[in-house]
Amino acid sequence: MPIIELQEVSKLYGFGNATNIALDEVSLSIDEGEFMGVMGPSGCGKSTLMNIIGLLDRPTHGGYSLQGRQVERLSANRRAKARRDTVGFVFQSFNLLPRLTVLENVALPLAYKGVGQIRRAKLALNMLERVGLRDRAYYYPNQLSGGQAQCVAIARALVNNPSIIIADEPTGNLDSTSSRLVMELLSEIHKTGNTILFVTHNPELTRYATRVLYMHDGTIVHDEQTPVGEIAATARKALYTIPTKTVDDDLAGVSALMKAVPHTVKEANMTTTGQDKKKPAKKTSKKRRGGKK
Amino acid sequence: MTSGRGNFKMALASVRNTKWRSLLTMLGVIIGIVSVVTIVGIGEGVKHQVATQADHFGKDLITVRPGKIHSAVNKQVITNSDVLFGRNSSSGLTIQDVEAVKKADHVTQVAPLGTISGLPMFDGRKIDNIQAYATGSDLASILNHKVEYGSFFTGDPNTKDVVIGANVAMKLFNERVPLGQTFVFRGQSMMVRGMFEPFHASPLSPTAGFDDAIFMPYQLADQLSNGGLQFYSILAKPTDHKQAKQAISSVQQQMDKVRGGADSDFSVLDSKSSIAIGGATVDVIATFITVVAVIALLVGGIGIMNIMLLSVTERMHEIGIRKAIGATNRQILSQFMLEAAVLSGVGGVLGVVTSFFLAWFLRTYTDYQPIITWQPVVIATLISVAVGVIFGTAPAVKAARKDPIEALRHE
Repeated sequence: MPIIELQEVSKLYGFGNATNIALDEVSLSIDEGEFMGVMGPSGCGKSTLMNIIGLLDRPTHGGYSLQGRQVERLSANRRAKARRDTVGFVFQSFNLLPRLTVLENVALPLAYKGVGQIRRAKLALNMLERVGLRDRAYYYPNQLSGGQAQCVAIARALVNNPSIIIADEPTGNLDSTSSRLVMELLSEIHKTGNTILFVTHNPELTRYATRVLYMHDGTIVHDEQTPVGEIAATARKALYTIPTKTVDDDLAGVSALMKAVPHTVKEANMTTTGQDKKKPAKKTSKKRRGGKK
Repeated sequence: MTSGRGNFKMALASVRNTKWRSLLTMLGVIIGIVSVVTIVGIGEGVKHQVATQADHFGKDLITVRPGKIHSAVNKQVITNSDVLFGRNSSSGLTIQDVEAVKKADHVTQVAPLGTISGLPMFDGRKIDNIQAYATGSDLASILNHKVEYGSFFTGDPNTKDVVIGANVAMKLFNERVPLGQTFVFRGQSMMVRGMFEPFHASPLSPTAGFDDAIFMPYQLADQLSNGGLQFYSILAKPTDHKQAKQAISSVQQQMDKVRGGADSDFSVLDSKSSIAIGGATVDVIATFITVVAVIALLVGGIGIMNIMLLSVTERMHEIGIRKAIGATNRQILSQFMLEAAVLSGVGGVLGVVTSFFLAWFLRTYTDYQPIITWQPVVIATLISVAVGVIFGTAPAVKAARKDPIEALRHE
């Protein structure tokens, strides 16, 4: 039985002439253990779909059954509880609370569940251990790099042991190395049996997915299964593909545009490997740009 | 439900993180609390002082005052008189009244008290801030107060001798013990015959200002004011404790004779009702000021509401995050309510601390002796928390009802 089943779900915003259809009778069923990527242009309804699946939002029409339970008409309170217990959210902008430490951030969902303080700290520490950031437990979010912050956010999403993780462009604010770190982590979590949904603009990242959804103007235009480790067939068409040179290139979510210009890739490699030579490297790049003009 | 302690910590942290703003917000509450606690404290202090002083004067002291006593809501208040102990009353007591009281049975000593305007002049200089009183030769023994140097003037109606309060010596004569010195008051030369021990009286007590006073025989004062002298009070002492009641009724009778019965515009009080009236007067004043203080608290509450509304708007994104990771509406509500309560509660505590400091200050540097009892402290703190809860509700409800997606979009 599918863990998520949407039955002709629509979401409308606004009234009268200004009505905006964010989702147009979308039907979708997702099985437990799927690792699904969602792609599509901005404004196509990806985020709305994620919000409805994640119980942050209610569909205007249509039915939604989550783990076999109809949830489209739940009260705000019950939705909050179901959300807390079954869904973990990861956002593009991390959304950690700046005034709480990393540990407190991770423990927050447990606090809302009513777990005692000591047990909360213990579970949160375990989760940080799992994402490899136990030594950052008492840092504040602004003391972390983007990749670390996103890993903390993932730890927070996981701490309640939810069966579904929803990540809305989790790598949108990250560089390629951090993107890879985050995706590897999600992929790790996927292996333990969680269902994961993620939104991305980067075709490269469909390598991690088992299924890819393409959306346009509030409808699902294409839905395909794809083997893990390969870029989804349709996504590949959207990619300005250049043969990749290293294993790193293969796995990392390096953006397509970056790859389209070969010499910039080399430059990027130079700057990341030789940190001491950062300044000269930058200078040369400026010179080059100037030279082109 | 979230654990209360964790929530409380979070609320405290939030208050700490916006120290300046929180302090300014709390200011309204602090001012309200300080005024309530201090005013009640001063009131209690004055009542206490009046009571101890009355003990000091002797339990059976009889006081005649102008004005009738009216009972209102269990409290006796003298109308037609200055709120503070009847001084400067318009329809004062006269020398005839003094003579009447003297005639009463079972009364040994009688001393009127009245003020007479004018400034003393010594060595060609007029000195401000010295009040002249007209009184009788029995004042010292009635007040049970020691004349430290020299002696009190005699009952001789023609004497030009006066007694001075402790501060007058340096102020007027620039001398420690100016016995035998003469000065001029309203063109009349007078001689210092005695000097009182310091009174150390609180500003609201009957002997307030006596340290800065000149006491002259009322016969002399009457001459100076061309027979228009009036008294705000006549003090009398019964022969002994047993005769106290008869003495009072006798004084009443004699006064009735002079004043002509029914529409009598005076009151004869024993020391107990004297104190009660003093206390009632203080209570009336304290109530008025407390009302003002409560308004200050109300304004403080509105300030809290305002800042909480601002805080909710500012932290909309945070609310969105909290909701996304599973906070229910009620949990958000309680978070913001608690924050408002902590804000005003901390304000209340700061207010109480400030009032203790203020009380210490008043004790040390003024004659007020405020007594802070636990009741106003507890009540004030509870009220401040209640203010926070009441005025924190609207913003908290606003936060709790916010749609999570809208809140998340808010930056």
